[in-house]
This record gives sequence, structure tokens and C-alpha cells, in this order.
Amino acid sequence: MKQITVSNVDKIYNSTKENAFYALKQISFEIEAGEIVILKGVSGSGKSTLLSLIGGLSKPSSGDIIVEGETIAKLPDRLASLYRYERVGFIFQSFNLLNGLNVYQNVTAPLMLSEWSASQREEKIDRALQIANIAHKKKQKVSDLSGGEKQRCAIARALVMDPPIILADEPTANLDTHNSLMFIEILKTFKAMGKTVLIATHDVLFEESDVIDRCIRMKDGEIVS
Amino acid sequence: MFSKNLIEYAVILLFKDRADHLFSFIIFTFIVSLLSAVLFVSDAIRSDLVDAAKFGPDIVVENTLAGRAYKLNEEDRESIADLAGVSAVEGDVEGYYYFSQQRVWFHLIGDSSLSLREMSIGEGVKEAMKVWHYDDAFNFFSTQGKITLKMLKTESKQTNVLSNDVIFMHPANVRAILGFKVDEYSKLLVTVPNPNEVGDITLKIVQLLPTVKATSKEDIQASYRHLFYYKGGIFMILYWVCTVAFLILLKNQISLAYGEKKKEIAILRSIGYAIKDIIALKFIQNALVAFSAFLLGVWIAYMYVFIFQAPLLRAIFLGSQLGRSVEFTPIVDLNLLFLLFVFSVIPFLAFVIIPSWKIAIADMSEAVR
Repeated sequence: MKQITVSNVDKIYNSTKENAFYALKQISFEIEAGEIVILKGVSGSGKSTLLSLIGGLSKPSSGDIIVEGETIAKLPDRLASLYRYERVGFIFQSFNLLNGLNVYQNVTAPLMLSEWSASQREEKIDRALQIANIAHKKKQKVSDLSGGEKQRCAIARALVMDPPIILADEPTANLDTHNSLMFIEILKTFKAMGKTVLIATHDVLFEESDVIDRCIRMKDGEIVS
Repeated sequence: MFSKNLIEYAVILLFKDRADHLFSFIIFTFIVSLLSAVLFVSDAIRSDLVDAAKFGPDIVVENTLAGRAYKLNEEDRESIADLAGVSAVEGDVEGYYYFSQQRVWFHLIGDSSLSLREMSIGEGVKEAMKVWHYDDAFNFFSTQGKITLKMLKTESKQTNVLSNDVIFMHPANVRAILGFKVDEYSKLLVTVPNPNEVGDITLKIVQLLPTVKATSKEDIQASYRHLFYYKGGIFMILYWVCTVAFLILLKNQISLAYGEKKKEIAILRSIGYAIKDIIALKFIQNALVAFSAFLLGVWIAYMYVFIFQAPLLRAIFLGSQLGRSVEFTPIVDLNLLFLLFVFSVIPFLAFVIIPSWKIAIADMSEAVR
């Protein structure tokens, strides 16, 4: 079953000015449900831009993005936010945790938009923390965590709503080899859970892993293979 | 309006940034307490005066000579009493006596219910006399010699602003001390039973005696209501202090939406928070700060003015040394407090919500990379 379909997507910055810049040119591909795909390319090749379009963080200049049968390219803010809330979990290169809060308070952030009771939230958070293997640091401030622990906290936050799609933007760029390999191990869990995962990376470790189903190579805003 | 969970998370984020919010809270509390204290003091004084005027005569007639108060005589009293609509005209003697040792003025007022050997004094007068060991009696000096009067009682502190520098004594004593003859008065107090006729009779009195000033009870109350010139003097300085403090506060409010907070908004947006959720979070956080600072500011002002009797500020309003003995009557003008609330809380909220909204509607993909 096709979970994500990207058709003829362009992303142009400063489109009305002289210095108009094509970040993405006529991008088209499809991803099956449960697939783990890496977007590979050097810095500036358009991987992160493509992830932000699929994640509903920004809108394409033209073309269409269909996720689970629904066009998300032109969604108004309320529906785009709902889409991110229910269907997408983000893992960022710089972790993007809320400093000053502890692990639990970071992971609970998406759940606070719901009407769930404290015990229901607790149950979901504990499950996400267990999967990400960070439950033992639950009450620790994120600013006191190591890079690998911050990454696991970000993974727990991405999983807490149990979204079908996980988008990871250079998830191992700030990690040492040990923690990078641990992240790849977690991908196996994602696979077992049936998550569709799209990873933007230029880390060779991913290519060596058998958990990756497919690799899409990008260069200068275009898919090259 | 807001879900319980969202309020809970807003509070968590509020405590995360408690240092920034504490600064806003302190400045806001300072502004509100300063302005509220000024309002409370001026309202208490005004209210005392307006209340006292309620029990005064319908028209007060004073004579002037070269622009200063001058005596009226029995002929004047009789001619006013003859006007249609006037039921009674009483001659009143009063004036100021300078107590040179303490360098203060006492306000002497005739009261025929008192005997020739006694007087009733205000709280401020009592304190001034006590400094010079006049504990039971006081000596007044006049062209007719020394007049010694016994202190009968002290006027209630609640009557306050008016009675503070007052000495009530038999009219004959006032005449003797201030040099009035038996048929001379400092004021005439006119009673008009029909309130609708007061305006006409006031005009008739001025026509009858062109050098007099006739003031109706309503005019006296109106003048008390506009007693304080809010656009000048000390008020202007207070406004400037508050304006500068408020600008600092607003600058701090704007900074609460930029810098690290800009990234925070982008992170929340990336995990599913809609623009309205971001606005709600910022509103809840800052409304909590604003409301609690406002309530604390008003409470501090209330305690400062009505419990501790406004040290420092009272000297600005009451001026004379005698003013130290005045006790402020607790009066709170809710309309003015509401205005203060509207003009402080709304800009306070707007200066963080509008920048937050501008950030929230921007493309967040760059901010979260």
C-alpha cells in the first residue's frame, strides 16, 4: 500500500525575486507503508527541504504530496498541524528539545494538546520512553543529558503519539559511532512496529545496515537514482 | 476555552522561563502598586471632603476685598434672609491662627455648643500642641490678651482631612482671637429647603451683594471631586516613572517571543501545535503573570495606603506637618482600577502575543533544522 506519494514537487525560494533558488526540482517518488527509506545526498542537495514538505512544516511551490490518500501540500494551518500531530513524528539533527524541561516534560509536549487524563498520558509516555530506552532518565533535565540520550529523548517524543510515519533529519550527525549504531538498532524496532521511516542523511553507516529498504539519492534538488 | 492539559503545559513552560517572567512580574507589580497607591490616596482625600460637604449648608457666602476673604456683617445676613426661598441664614466665624513656636496654622471654627472655656481639637492640632507640652490646655494670644482654653476632646480620625488642623471653640472666643466684632461674620451659611431653587438664589445673592462669592453645595462637592490636577506636578513625575518602567516591561515582553523562544515556538509547531495553540500558551502564561502581578500590586497599594497610612506619599498629598495625623478612609474606586487593569494588562499581553503570532505563522522548517 502506498503511504507517501510525491509528484512533480518544486520548492523555489525567493520565487518572485531575481535571486530565485530551486531547492527541489520535479521530485517524484512513492514510499510503501512500513518501508524504511534513506534520502542520501550532500549538504544542500534538498533532503531536509523534502522532509519538511512531507512533514507539513512548509508547502511546495508546485506539485503534490499525498499521504495515506490525503493531499497535504495545500492544507490550512489547523489541518497541517493536526496532520503533524497525528501522523508524523520528527527526529531532528539538533534534537530540538525544550531546554529547561526534563525528559518527561519534553515527551509529554504533544500529548498536552489532547484531552487525555494524566494516567493515560503517563501510560503513553512510559511506553515511548521504554522503546527509546531512556525511561531511567525520565526526571532528568535534558540539558544534563549526553548527545545520545538527547537523541533517545527526541525519539521518545516522536513516538509518543504512535504516528505511522517517522521523519528523521540527519539523526546521527551529532552522534558518535556507538550512538549512531544504537539509533540504527532502534530503526529495527520501528520496522517491527510497522512504521514508515524516511531518513535524510549522508552517514555511510545507514547504507551498511540491512534494516534500510531503499536509498533515494539526491543532488542539487533532484533525484539522481 | 482552554483545555486543562494545555493550561498545565503553559504553567510548566512558565516555570521553565521563571527568571524572565519574574522580571516582568516585579516591574508590573511595581507599576500597578505605584499607580494604585496614588489613586487610593487621592480617592480617600476626595471622598472625605465630598462626604463632609454633604452635611454643609446649601449655599456658603463669603465676602472678598482685593481678592481676599473679608468680613460680612449683620446687614448682609438680614438682606439674604429676606430673599424668597431662603429659610435660614447663619453667621459663621472662622479663620486661621498661627502657632509660631511650631510654625503651623490652626483652623479656628465657631461652635456654639461648646462652653467659653473649652475647645475640641483635630488630631494634627493635638500633636502640634503636645510638642510644646500643651497637654490639657492651650494659650491663644490676641490683641485682647491671652485666652486659655481647655482641651475637651479630639476629633475622630475618621472625619479626617477636614478636621485634622481644626479647633472648634465658642464663637465668642473665635471673635476675640481673630478680631471679629459681635456683628461680623467670616461666612454666611444659607439654608434653601427646595434644592431646585439653590441655583437661582445663588445668583440673586451675588446680584444683591456684588462683592461676595456665593458657592452652592453642589459646586463645593464638584470642586472637591476635581481637587487633584492629574496632568501636572507630582502626578507627571509618577506617570513618567511608570511609563519608563512600562517600556522596560514591554521590551522584556517582546524578548520573551524572540531568541531562544523563537526556536521553542518552531519546535512546538513541528510536533503538532497549531498557531492558535501557540497563542493560547503565550496568553495563559502571560495572563497568569499579569493577573497575579496586578492583584499583588493592588494589595500592596491597599496595605501601604490604608494600613501603613502611605508613608512618603502622604506628605506629597497633604503637605503640611499637620497632615501627618490624617488617617485615610478605605475607599476603592473600582472604575479607575478597571481602567488601570485595561491599560496595563492589554498592552502587556499584546506585546508578547503579537510577536509570538508573527513567529508562529512563519515557515518553521529553517528554525527546527
